[in-house]
Amino acid sequence: MNILASPQRGMNTSRYIKLALVLAFLIAVPWLWRENRFITTVFISALMFGIWGVMYDLQIGYGGLINFGFAGFICAGAYGSALAAHHYEINPWFCLLIGAVASGLLGFLTGIVTLRLKGIFVGLATWFLAEVLRLTISNTPEYTRGMLGLAVKPLPDVFGLDFSRAALLPYYYLLLILVIIIFAMAALMVNSKIGLSFKAIREDQLATETLGLSTTKYKLINFTTACFFTGLIGAFYAHYIGILTPDPTEFGVPRTVEVLTVAYVGGRGTLWGSILAAFLLIGFQEYFRQLGAWRLVMYGALLITVMIYAPKGLSTIRKYIW
Amino acid sequence: MDLSIFIQLIVLGLVRGSMYALMGVGLSLIFGIMEIVNFAHGELFMIGCYIMYFMAAMLGLPFPLGILASGVGLLIVGVILEKGLISPLRKKAGREWLMDSFVLTIGLMVIFQNLALIIFGSVQRGIPYLVAGQSTFGDVVFIYDHLVILSLAFLTVGLLWYFIKYTSLGKAIRATSQHSEAAQTLGIDVSRMYAVAFGIGAALAGISGALLITLFPANPNAGMGPVLKSFVVVILGGLGNIKGAIAAGILVGLLEAFAVFYLAGGWQNVIVFSVVIAVLVFKPAGLFAPAGERP
Repeated sequence: MNILASPQRGMNTSRYIKLALVLAFLIAVPWLWRENRFITTVFISALMFGIWGVMYDLQIGYGGLINFGFAGFICAGAYGSALAAHHYEINPWFCLLIGAVASGLLGFLTGIVTLRLKGIFVGLATWFLAEVLRLTISNTPEYTRGMLGLAVKPLPDVFGLDFSRAALLPYYYLLLILVIIIFAMAALMVNSKIGLSFKAIREDQLATETLGLSTTKYKLINFTTACFFTGLIGAFYAHYIGILTPDPTEFGVPRTVEVLTVAYVGGRGTLWGSILAAFLLIGFQEYFRQLGAWRLVMYGALLITVMIYAPKGLSTIRKYIW
Repeated sequence: MDLSIFIQLIVLGLVRGSMYALMGVGLSLIFGIMEIVNFAHGELFMIGCYIMYFMAAMLGLPFPLGILASGVGLLIVGVILEKGLISPLRKKAGREWLMDSFVLTIGLMVIFQNLALIIFGSVQRGIPYLVAGQSTFGDVVFIYDHLVILSLAFLTVGLLWYFIKYTSLGKAIRATSQHSEAAQTLGIDVSRMYAVAFGIGAALAGISGALLITLFPANPNAGMGPVLKSFVVVILGGLGNIKGAIAAGILVGLLEAFAVFYLAGGWQNVIVFSVVIAVLVFKPAGLFAPAGERP
């Protein structure tokens, strides 16, 4: 891993223009096709999975932490926010933050619990933690409504913007702003001293410790940050989708596998690859709805192909486009 | 508690436990020798269910043939998967082998599940019993089916034990798992051992699927429950520890039988998973590992 001598780092004029074009695309397309709700929903899903993929990447690609209970943190954010709004009449805008804190706290605790574990054992522990959370929700219907489904309020209107269920565009632009902020913070983080420490720990934990860096501290920073933002988007998801059930496809292994696929296909250790992969995968999946189960077969095949033949995923095309 | 209920629960627990042990042994064998956490293990189980259904219900063949066909079929599937996908990955992956191979098996899981959905639909295809009938001793009912499952599971584990312990191929496999480079210098074809080990692990999953078809009818998601249980078993027993997997399998089966009797439905998994997390955190090498040992 060559961290220091990376000639592609930094921004120049052409990259600013490209970045502006990407942002213009993200801002303009749903607006131009605003009559077509389908386009907006696809863009919302792609952005959500994209930023979840980025957070997954922050853990696996930078921290070397295998989070196989990722859906559990989405779940913590979504239910944290929805339950606060449902039971305590708190303003849903503030609930977004509550969801994020709930998930971040869970991430912090998970980090502490799994500190002594290595590699795949972290994955197994997080998997079972997420299942415990999901099953607990489904076992306490008197509080969470369990499998009956918890109805979540939409966000209240602000600044004269209509956030009722019928309006998709405000949700899309809210999400876009959140994604830009989270992505920027993640990018700043991985390019800072903290990011270097993540990479150092991923490459060689023992050597890093002998250099005097606290692996404990950086693992906890990684877990907490990634889970906080995962939960924030999970909370957004709750208010956007309007109903939550602790179903495996929603908050179980299949969801984790979807996010994991986005991160792996995008290319580990790149952050931006996940966004690109999410748009390609979600776009592909929505466009070919009639393929039914075949598209999931292709997901699996794609994952295997990436593992064996293209470990860096889509990020290998960077030199041609950036 | 009534003695007859107690015996009944023990029998039920042993039946389930022997199956978990069979699944867990396969998973542990694959991990111990190849360092692969095989997430597609449940789907190998599911393929076993379908082969059994095809042989016994559609062709009307006697059930031992179905079990044999599931075992042999999955052995072949396992060797093909190892040679076609896992072995090429091993040549490329370095330190991140554990995670990379895990993700590969996730891909396999998704493919198998959805191919089964495309080919067979989501219909449940079960067989009511392998051997009809039951007999009663006092208040205790022995369903013949359960006794058949139990004895065949023990037979399979016994055969595996003999194979690993006493045959030269088994010894070569053990040597590979202990130190693959040293095994290679002794003239053992390590890559062949990997294929054999994965094949045997897959065959064990297939045999479990075939035996359990009366309890878990064949359907595309049939492997989801068993895989979760077999992971519980191998974590409790210690990943890669075959004896541990047998003991933990039976333990989990028994605990589950009694928990179902005493506890409200959904909570039993919460308790089992919490125990698993505690074991992972405090004794990651498994319940039966010497104190202080860490993987």
